[in-house]
Amino acid sequence: MAIDTKPAMLPPSTVSSPPPIEVDVAPEEVGASEANRARGMRREVRRQLGGARLGDLFALVGAVTASLSTTWAVTTQIMPVTGSLGPFLIAFALFVAFYTLLLSFTEPTPIVRDRVASVVVHSLAIIVVLTLIFVVAFTIFRGLEALRFPNFFVQDMSLAGPLDPLSAGGIVHAIVGSLIQITIALVITIPLGILTALYLNEMPGRFASFVRTVVEAMSALPSIVAGLFIYATAILILGLEKSGFAAALAISVMMLPIMIRASDVVIRMVPSTLKEGAIGLGAGQWRTVWHVVLPTSRSGLATAIILATARGIGETSPVLLTSGFTAAMNLDPLRGPMVSLPLAVFQFVKSPEPTMIARGFGAAAVLMLLVLLLFAGARWLGGRTIEKQDRARHRRERALASVVAAIASIGRAVRHIGRRAVPVLRAAHVAGARVARAINGLWVVLSQRVRQALGYRSPEMPPTESIDPSTSLSLAAGEQT
Amino acid sequence: MSTETRLTLRTARARPDRIFRGLALGAGISVLAIMLLVGFFLAIRATDALGTAGWSFFTEQAWEPDAGRFGIAAIIFGTVLIAVVAIAVAVPLASACALYITQYAPQRVRSTLISLVDLMAAIPSIVFGLWGFFWLQGEVVPVARWISQNFGFIPFLTVEGADPSDPLAPTTVFTSSTFIAGLVVAMMITPIITSIMREVFDQAPVGEREGALALGATRWSMIRAVVLPFGRAGMIGGSMLGLGRALGETIAVYIIISPVFVMQPRILENGAISVSSLIALRYGEATEFGLSALMAAGLTLFLMTLVVNFAASLIVARSRSGVSS
Amino acid sequence: MTRRRRTSFISVLAAAVTFSIMVSTAASATPQEPAPPSTTLQPATTTYVPISGAGSSWSANAIDQWRRNVQQFGMRVNYASTGSSDGRNQFRSGTVDFASSEIPYGLTDGGVVDTPPSRKFSYMPIVAGGTSIMYNLTIGDQRITNLRLSGDTITRIFTGVITSWDHPAIKADNPGITLPARRIVPVVRSDGSGSTAQLTGWMASEHRSLWDAYCAKANRPLPCGQTSNFPVLSGSGFVGQPGSQGVAGYVSQRANVGTITYVEYSYALKAGYPVAKVLNQAGFYVEPTASNVAVSLLSARINTDTTSSAYLTQILTGVYRSTDPRVYPLSSYSYLIVPTAVEGNFTASKGETLGAFAYYFLCEGQRQAEALGYSPLPINLVEAGLAQVRRIPGVEAQTINISRCNNPTFSADGTNTLAQNAPQPAACDRRGETQCSSGTGGAAEQPTPTDNSGGTDGGAGADGGSGAGFDTGGESGLDGFGGDGTGSDSSGGGTKICEIDTGLCQTVASVPVEIERADSGWTRDTVMMLIAALALLATVFLPPMFARVIRGSRGVS
Repeated sequence: MAIDTKPAMLPPSTVSSPPPIEVDVAPEEVGASEANRARGMRREVRRQLGGARLGDLFALVGAVTASLSTTWAVTTQIMPVTGSLGPFLIAFALFVAFYTLLLSFTEPTPIVRDRVASVVVHSLAIIVVLTLIFVVAFTIFRGLEALRFPNFFVQDMSLAGPLDPLSAGGIVHAIVGSLIQITIALVITIPLGILTALYLNEMPGRFASFVRTVVEAMSALPSIVAGLFIYATAILILGLEKSGFAAALAISVMMLPIMIRASDVVIRMVPSTLKEGAIGLGAGQWRTVWHVVLPTSRSGLATAIILATARGIGETSPVLLTSGFTAAMNLDPLRGPMVSLPLAVFQFVKSPEPTMIARGFGAAAVLMLLVLLLFAGARWLGGRTIEKQDRARHRRERALASVVAAIASIGRAVRHIGRRAVPVLRAAHVAGARVARAINGLWVVLSQRVRQALGYRSPEMPPTESIDPSTSLSLAAGEQT
Repeated sequence: MSTETRLTLRTARARPDRIFRGLALGAGISVLAIMLLVGFFLAIRATDALGTAGWSFFTEQAWEPDAGRFGIAAIIFGTVLIAVVAIAVAVPLASACALYITQYAPQRVRSTLISLVDLMAAIPSIVFGLWGFFWLQGEVVPVARWISQNFGFIPFLTVEGADPSDPLAPTTVFTSSTFIAGLVVAMMITPIITSIMREVFDQAPVGEREGALALGATRWSMIRAVVLPFGRAGMIGGSMLGLGRALGETIAVYIIISPVFVMQPRILENGAISVSSLIALRYGEATEFGLSALMAAGLTLFLMTLVVNFAASLIVARSRSGVSS
Repeated sequence: MTRRRRTSFISVLAAAVTFSIMVSTAASATPQEPAPPSTTLQPATTTYVPISGAGSSWSANAIDQWRRNVQQFGMRVNYASTGSSDGRNQFRSGTVDFASSEIPYGLTDGGVVDTPPSRKFSYMPIVAGGTSIMYNLTIGDQRITNLRLSGDTITRIFTGVITSWDHPAIKADNPGITLPARRIVPVVRSDGSGSTAQLTGWMASEHRSLWDAYCAKANRPLPCGQTSNFPVLSGSGFVGQPGSQGVAGYVSQRANVGTITYVEYSYALKAGYPVAKVLNQAGFYVEPTASNVAVSLLSARINTDTTSSAYLTQILTGVYRSTDPRVYPLSSYSYLIVPTAVEGNFTASKGETLGAFAYYFLCEGQRQAEALGYSPLPINLVEAGLAQVRRIPGVEAQTINISRCNNPTFSADGTNTLAQNAPQPAACDRRGETQCSSGTGGAAEQPTPTDNSGGTDGGAGADGGSGAGFDTGGESGLDGFGGDGTGSDSSGGGTKICEIDTGLCQTVASVPVEIERADSGWTRDTVMMLIAALALLATVFLPPMFARVIRGSRGVS
């Protein structure tokens, strides 16, 4: 982080700002600020405080080399460890040790500490990110074997027996099942969830806060227990078949608290000035909600819904208990078992057959893709602001103008060739420009429509900076500024 | 807005308002009803088993409800053990990751990283389960073997049946263990915890941060003096929420473990259990009474998660970072 | 940047639209694809209502194949192999239309009676098979495929009495091979299962004292008897896995050497792993091939009292103790539990589908039994089964006709041709000094395929190395630490050993196993290794640190 270093007016020891901050002062940096002062008060240049020096680089390279060679010696010659994980961990520990040692030759203790911390933080973060990417890549890689076959996306498993190769059978029944189940769940949870969130915010009171507490409590419900509840009530007591509908109910029970909490946070963010303004203009509560609250929070709500959907579509445990299992396409959610993607993955990988396992990985890859799509949608909705849209429009217009210019220049070039074509070309030129303008207009209109349909954040929306720690979803919903 | 105005407002409500209020109230009530129904139903169905087992429900280790010998001592123990392993691995990783994103990462990659981590939090748990079963297990076994050989004197790192002197000793004793399940769950909850911690670290007051730097603090001492104290509650809260997720995880654990019904503190050894994987394993073949026993186990898990979650939100709400939002 | 994001979003949207179109076209196009094999059933003009069932994973491979085959007649049968206990339970609570199980209702398990459902039902035999003892054992790099075990030894393995492969009892069963001093890792079912019931029923009947002693250790009420849930003692090294797929998958991971489990023969064939030949009363070690199972079940006592609720259920004591040299003692057959009245979710139109499906698998379907690793049903059971089919409400009785039944076991005089023509075991399979070298199960030359089984048979055989696909990817890692190479050099001692993939693993006899580090515990080697590691680290770290201390003190002074 680069900040302007102003000349220090007081020596650090006399600073007593509340709360008192105890800092390790690095002598060199004090020196640096002195040097800065020496330069006088001329134009302040933003100084890069960080940055690497050659010595740091040497220390880093040296530590890496030393750790790799020592690890080699230890793991192959002295204490044999096989696999890749063990040597890696040893190498990492040794690297940190060597790095500390090397730095301690040249640097004072606070700097050593800073550098070591920085190295540790960097490498752990890299490990996390790489591992997560690896998890995804591994799934896709193992799934490629099945994903290569186009029939994987257009067939179900009803004609693929235990011994059939990958060129027969697919997971379309699971994809469709997932979509049907999540649609039913959304039909249940969206109205219920958003109305409840509105209730919590529009009609506050003791009962509302009780509802909020219960909903908060219910977001702790383990998803398998939600499945168990539906299994024990709807299936065993009410006699519903194991079906897509039962699975959708279980998903709904699981998603409902998530969605309510996320929508609650979003609706709470609507500035009261807007609502008061609407009421002041004589709007009733309903009109305020319909014309102010919902439009203002529309993109936040959309994000909340999509993220809850992503969560609901990927859960295996509630469906495991409620949806039954089938190898065939079933479009009727009320009758007969209906399999969804996570359940299909689970069933496939239980089999010892390599082809079935490949299908499992393929289905998992498709499931991830689905979640990714949903997530991208949420990002896209959440990332839209007025300035960005304006900037985008300008850029688009500039691009179109350059296209028109290009057409014109082509026209000019052609004019050199033969003057005969001039009238035609001129007409084309004019028409081209007109078409370009029309396209631009159409684009503006369309994008406005789309924006209206999908909902976007109005300029009044303040940047949301809530922390809502309860779920990652509401968090993610909250940070779409 | 005074009480009187509200009264007049209420009397003057137009029909759409009344309909809206009715609908909203209806939604609130039905959500409450559903949620309470779930809770009460669980409790009522569980009483059958709880009444039969009495206090032995919390001390008995076996799980044979139909024979009348069942309890959750071993199961809760196993659940907590997996979650503890997960948290022990995930919290350092997540803290480092969150610190990197907020304090170290160049501006260019920051937003990408944030998106990536948030996206990872939405990856279905079964994907992590697959990765754990088909890749991680094979990689961890040599490490587990190495640890148990060299640190076997620590009680919970020992492995019964692993004889280091026997070159033909089966590696199966190191598979399907609490440790592996814990690692998989750790990778699953790391993005979630990272996400929360990042939010909190981001809110560390810029003035204090820059003040520290201006005083000549190194970046790490600035982090230690400003960011970490400010975000401590968020870190604890985030970790506890991760713990809540770890306690309830079903499928990733189910795929990996080999169930045992005794308290088995040796985390590297084959054999583990968790409440949710027990439910997934036994719901189908359970009799009426067996289902009741599973409900009781599910209820216990639910209450545990509830306590953890409420504690977490309390910690966050009481903290400086929580108040400032 | 926004523009790029927008374009990428649009392309994603377009992809999604294309995809959904593909899906919808597929949804309409799926059912009528591959060419049906020849059959006695005519492609139906009637439309069948889908039915769903659940239960035994023991018979799941057969049901799964049949389910696939009847799809061409427009029948949709959904089957979830969730375990017999789950199947019986679901049938009782009415969530499935039929269940599959190896044991009937009404047995006492762990002191609790498995109560029959209140809905009307009957048992219908579907397929016979052998509960095989599948194992994963290698010496050096060579897989052992000709293991022989007596009933007593099997019981002692699964009750934790015998814990090492070089136990004298196993050696006595296998005079031809020298087994390594590996630990035996029994893999058992962690869910309620018919396979467990088969095995424990046999152990309770034939090796009662051993079984009861084990149950007592597991705090089960005595006498232990048949149980669907295998009791597992902590720290005994037993591994529990759910489902036949689970146990077979676990054993067939290449790294899990030393594991042994009980699972239907079909799974061993599919996984490409050998099964143990089991000693029968006649003194022969036999494999659960289709013909051996057929012979064995001639000795099963079938409850033929049509008024009994347990009509058509089996009493297997005769099989356990039969003195025919071809008998495989752990043979049995599996039932379908079918409703006989319209109740709950079960309707007459569902009955029509179920009846047609049952008629298919009792007749035509049995032709594939052998290739799948099962044994076709003999005529008496088929006849009795067809009688049960007629009791299902909604069945078109006129289509049920045994004269058109195309079952490979039928002969003119009503005897089981398969059992009649079953080959006698080879002389080397007799208990004694000799031991056959040919492999078994999925790791052997398959028995001569019958006319209808060529394709699947070859597939199962070629699957020899399929365990590799299930490998956790760490085979090099898992072998590690001194385990490699022991004994592999001595395997060249005149014995020819072939690759497992060819199924011709011959004469794995007399492979001595050398154990290099026989001393136990915290050995000198371990200490030396640690010291060496510390010494190395000290060599690397101490000089610079020392230098730094010196420099530091100089700097101070």
